[in-house]
Amino acid sequence: MSTTQGPLTRPALDVPRDRTAGPRGAAKPVRKRRPTSQQLAAWAFLAPVALYLVLFYAYPLYRNIDLSLRHYTVRSFVQGDAPFTGLANYRTVFEDPAFAPALLHTILFTTVCLVFQYVMGLALAVFFHRNFRLSATLRALFLVPWLLPLIVSASTWSWMLNSDSGIVNAALHAIGIDPVNWLTSPTWSLTAVILANIWIGVPFNLVVLYSGLQNIPAGLYEAAALDGAGPWRRFWSITFPLLRPVSAITLLLGLVYTLKVFDIIWIMTKGGPAESSTTFATWSYQLGFGNLVPAFGPGAAVGNLLVIAALVFGLIYVRVQRKQAES
Amino acid sequence: MNSLIRRHRPTTAVLAALALTATASACGSGSGGTNTGGGDSGTYTIWDPYPQFAKGSDWAKLLDKCGSDAGVKIKRTAFDTSDLANKSLLAAQQDNSPDVLIVDNPVVSTLAEAGVLTSTDETKLDTSKTDPNLLAAGQSGGKTYGTPIGANTLALYYNKDVLKDAGIDIASVKDWASLTAALDKAEKAGKKGITFSAIGTEEGSFQFLPWFWGAGAELTAVDSAKSEAALTLWSDWLKKGYAPNSVLNNTQTTSWQEFESGQYAFAENGTWQLAGAEKATFEYGVLPIPGQSGGTAAAPTGGEFVTMPVQSDTGRYATSQKLVTCLTSTQNLLATDTTLSYVAPTAEVQDKQVAANAKLGPWVDAVKAAKGRTDDLGTKYPKISEQLWKAVQSALSGAKSPKDALSAAQEAAAK
Amino acid sequence: MTTALAKRTRNTRSWGRTAVGLLLTAVMLFPVYWMVNVSFTRAEDMRKSPPNLFPFEGTLSGYRTVLDQQLPYLGTSFVIGLGTVVLTVALAAPAGYALAKLRPRGGGLLGFLLLVAQMIPGIIMAMGFYAIYLQLGLLQSVPGLIVADSTLAVPFAVLIFTAFMSGIPGELLQAAKTDGAGVVRTFWSIVLPMSRNAIVTVSLFAFLWSWSDFVFASTLVNGGAHEPITLGIYHYIGNNNQEWNAIMATAVVASLPATVILVLAQRYVAAGVTAGAVKD
Repeated sequence: MSTTQGPLTRPALDVPRDRTAGPRGAAKPVRKRRPTSQQLAAWAFLAPVALYLVLFYAYPLYRNIDLSLRHYTVRSFVQGDAPFTGLANYRTVFEDPAFAPALLHTILFTTVCLVFQYVMGLALAVFFHRNFRLSATLRALFLVPWLLPLIVSASTWSWMLNSDSGIVNAALHAIGIDPVNWLTSPTWSLTAVILANIWIGVPFNLVVLYSGLQNIPAGLYEAAALDGAGPWRRFWSITFPLLRPVSAITLLLGLVYTLKVFDIIWIMTKGGPAESSTTFATWSYQLGFGNLVPAFGPGAAVGNLLVIAALVFGLIYVRVQRKQAES
Repeated sequence: MNSLIRRHRPTTAVLAALALTATASACGSGSGGTNTGGGDSGTYTIWDPYPQFAKGSDWAKLLDKCGSDAGVKIKRTAFDTSDLANKSLLAAQQDNSPDVLIVDNPVVSTLAEAGVLTSTDETKLDTSKTDPNLLAAGQSGGKTYGTPIGANTLALYYNKDVLKDAGIDIASVKDWASLTAALDKAEKAGKKGITFSAIGTEEGSFQFLPWFWGAGAELTAVDSAKSEAALTLWSDWLKKGYAPNSVLNNTQTTSWQEFESGQYAFAENGTWQLAGAEKATFEYGVLPIPGQSGGTAAAPTGGEFVTMPVQSDTGRYATSQKLVTCLTSTQNLLATDTTLSYVAPTAEVQDKQVAANAKLGPWVDAVKAAKGRTDDLGTKYPKISEQLWKAVQSALSGAKSPKDALSAAQEAAAK
Repeated sequence: MTTALAKRTRNTRSWGRTAVGLLLTAVMLFPVYWMVNVSFTRAEDMRKSPPNLFPFEGTLSGYRTVLDQQLPYLGTSFVIGLGTVVLTVALAAPAGYALAKLRPRGGGLLGFLLLVAQMIPGIIMAMGFYAIYLQLGLLQSVPGLIVADSTLAVPFAVLIFTAFMSGIPGELLQAAKTDGAGVVRTFWSIVLPMSRNAIVTVSLFAFLWSWSDFVFASTLVNGGAHEPITLGIYHYIGNNNQEWNAIMATAVVASLPATVILVLAQRYVAAGVTAGAVKD
């Protein structure tokens, strides 16, 4: 889903802005009275986006909250007379035996994806930081997985991981490992979707962390090298600490957007088998759309739980970012 | 108008004021029940679950022709089957239902219960010629809510070449034990046994039901010992490698493509694959699905119903009724069911079909013997079916034993 | 970075690094290769085990299917992509200017809301759009999908424009003001031309995201007369078909814009991801 990719680009954008745009004088001027005409002009420029936000973001959200607070049967959904039931749908969702597994999968999916994307992205960024022949070209090629339409990536992975005809099992067979039912075994399905999602997320981490590395003055490394610090030492005492602000923001935003990953899982496993790869995002869809008869209320409730989780981490992100801008 | 819709109005007004598009203002002006699904009175909307038929296909042409016969323009939209029930409910909520809705038969009673569909009493639709066992899926509370456009059911296709290589005599396959023995022979001969679809959707339940009913189980008690026997049969096939693991993600189409690869002895699939089977590179045969201890298992009836959703402007029914009658006329049914590779719902057309293609003969019999999914359960079916396919997935993937999976299903369905 | 250290190690290590880099890239891009390989594989070899590693006995039938059936989808996606670009830039550029230079009261809140807006799961947005469009008769319409797709890019675009336009020297705008140019004039003839790079970056991403969108397409235009390419692929995977060579051939074709953009505008892509580099 491009929404997972789009906003992810943000830390990069904000980080350098705080770094480089700040000193240029434009940002953070001394607070002074703002003339009214300029206020009017400013809001005239902002009006379309503000209206847009209300119509296309606030309204769906409002509607979803409303859905989650009513008891719907198919009949009352159509007739529109569903009674207000407060938090009953949320209770239903919490008591559902699928709740605990879905929560666990969501946490596992998000954490494992984040850790691997970050570690691999960082390792690659450090690797590419040293210029070598073809390094720019290869770095560009690394972006490909991230730019492909998600449906393309998801279909490719599901075919590669096919139990009987997939290349992955063929390769395992060649080295003497028994075939794995990636998409059809409850033990492996979550791993399979995590694998695909990591693949998609690594390029982004690579590019952002690479740009973070470039902001570290080369002189520091030279000094450390003169002091006899080896590459490992240099990484832990220079690169990693100086990269912390970029890392924090990359990880936080990654978290917010990995939480709502939907397309990959839905196309590859539909959350199955036996709900073994169901996360909140797919569960919400499953409830609202996946069955013969939709359960709109609980589906919306699960969706709202996701929104709340994303909001909490989003607020943390804003705080972290503000702190960094101040320091 | 109901409260929910009224609450949506302000947004509509704002949007219309924005004049985002020309159409916006056109619909915002409607006072009572606007019918934007269709547009003006000269245009009638039809929703169908046949996205495989593009513009210019025979099906699309037939719709247009029925439209021009009735003196109206047709606006057709094709949805994926799995989306259609949901979209219909949303449309009905917004008072925007299509004039004619062609929808999978197990959903009809649910839509009727929701008040989305008109009954044939209201719309004076004649359903007298239709086979009663097929019509049953569209009946609820003594009323009929549509008419089938065609029917299909499931049977076992077999690959004669593979059977020959593996030394299997098809006449020996009479019950589950002999079928399993045949699968074992195929497996030993280096071929593959059977493929089917156990995906976590309605298709999975549809494919499981012949075995479920073949064991004598009832949908009212999915945790019975008989039901367990059916699920154990499937899960043992997977354990022994008689069926591939991919059945868990197989749609009926994927499963068919596995069979087309020529390596499988058997495939459980539907009437609609008949046209494709003719194109296969090997000789095939068709066998009714055997019951546990012999005989023929009841297979579920598949196929869609032509229905007429409720409109706020009841004056539209007369034309819609003409459209439905045209679509289900003897001549058009023959053409449509031939394209869809379905069995027609009336005896008259069935005879013509068999006359044109003798291979349809066994399928006509199978459809006549088939059982509607909602016959015993009505609107409870979708809920139980969902639990059933979940249980099948749990058992086949090894997450739970068949017994545990089914008792969990019964418990969830009873809620 | 041409440090002494780097220089010393370059000659000895460089080829070694290149080799490792090539290997890593090969591993990373293997799925892409596999997609291409499968797109050429004959239907009868599709379920062969082990699969063919190279398409030596390849077929073009997958691509023939694409040409036969998928061209309209590609055209629709192209139109929708362009529409999204125009709408996104039109909405976001003025907003970015206001936020960066006009210091509106409540601008910070708006920025925060834009951030939060992106966290709403796509499927909830899609449900909302569905309800609105159903009433407006905008379902299955290209303009409707353009508006929906633009929500993927607008918040990002506003932030890019804000970041970029903050970097435009204040003196320049002040000078324009002294010359008697109004806010609109300043925006139109000074800020916009100077923001060319930001516009290119935003356009690229807006195009790419609307091209890749699946959730909105499947909720809002599924079954319509004009469907984008992601639905074209989905129809193959969905009810009717599982011809993997055709699916993968479509996938290859659907990936072309990304590839073209990467080749022609790599600089802007990297800039979009790491917006700091935009300022040159």
